[in-house]
Amino acid sequence: MHIMEGFLPLYWAVIWWIIALPSLIFGIYQLKKILEADREALPLLGVTGGFIFILSSLKLPSVTGSCSHPTGTGLSAICFGPWITSVICAIVLLFQSLFLAHGGLSVLGANIVSMGIVGPLAGYIVYRALRDTRLNMYLVVFLACALADLFTYFTTSLELALAYPAEVGGIASSFVLFMGIFAVTQVPLAIVEGVVLALVFKYIVQLKPDILLRLKVFPEEKIRAARSEA
Amino acid sequence: MVFKYRLEILSILAVLGFCALFLYTSSIMTDAEFAGSDTLGSTQIAEMTGKAEEEFQPLIWQWAPPSGEIESGLFALQAAIGGILVGWVFGYWKGQKKREPVK
Repeated sequence: MHIMEGFLPLYWAVIWWIIALPSLIFGIYQLKKILEADREALPLLGVTGGFIFILSSLKLPSVTGSCSHPTGTGLSAICFGPWITSVICAIVLLFQSLFLAHGGLSVLGANIVSMGIVGPLAGYIVYRALRDTRLNMYLVVFLACALADLFTYFTTSLELALAYPAEVGGIASSFVLFMGIFAVTQVPLAIVEGVVLALVFKYIVQLKPDILLRLKVFPEEKIRAARSEA
Repeated sequence: MVFKYRLEILSILAVLGFCALFLYTSSIMTDAEFAGSDTLGSTQIAEMTGKAEEEFQPLIWQWAPPSGEIESGLFALQAAIGGILVGWVFGYWKGQKKREPVK
């Protein structure tokens, strides 16, 4: 889950905003370019963005006896890259901080960095590294989505650890503490999220393979092979 | 046939496994409150800094839903927006596919 309003000191809130803003601006620029080049990308953006809306509203119980929610950002990171994903996340996070008191305007920057930038970026790097290997396409989607989810919470833990280093052991030991709260809870959620988003990706491959080909999401042979086996 | 639907089967298994895990943990951890991890994180911060949680005031004024009912309603609204988007696009693609037969 996000950092709550008021729980980050002002200067850390400002620092995360400064890190978040350039990628938001670059994301908006990229989004404009993609939509101008190909209007058919808009429905795909709707699906991937829609899943971020759905999944980030589902608070699920986990093994630690607490609740957290998946992020759903992996799919969008694969199709559009991390920068456009950060724009969608900013919209969702803004909705949650304005109407739900989850997160807040001053910590929005920090939450965009964790959910909208570092998480999707991690997923995207994994996906790019594995895209052209012989690994099964859906396995790649699973890994990218699950890791995008997990890295979001690694980042949340790091953001809190940097702002609140422990008296004994400093940043490292409070990082471990916050990891215990955020990341351990997240492991089962990330696995389920990865499997479900891989299934969604399968339906996109079946219904609209041409848009995935035009955006060069996966090599043509892989998509063709996946379609012929279904 | 099993081959064709393996992702569907895997998804169902993952969700069922998740439910089973929840039932198991909630039965052995009777004192678990299943509060949000952000609430736990905030409690942790309050503990580390020695300040009371109430002392952490929002830096920017913020509207909070007056009750849990309203909050869950707004969360449902968020999920509904996402659901409408996803359903609309999949329907649009399905319609497109019908119009132009298989290449």
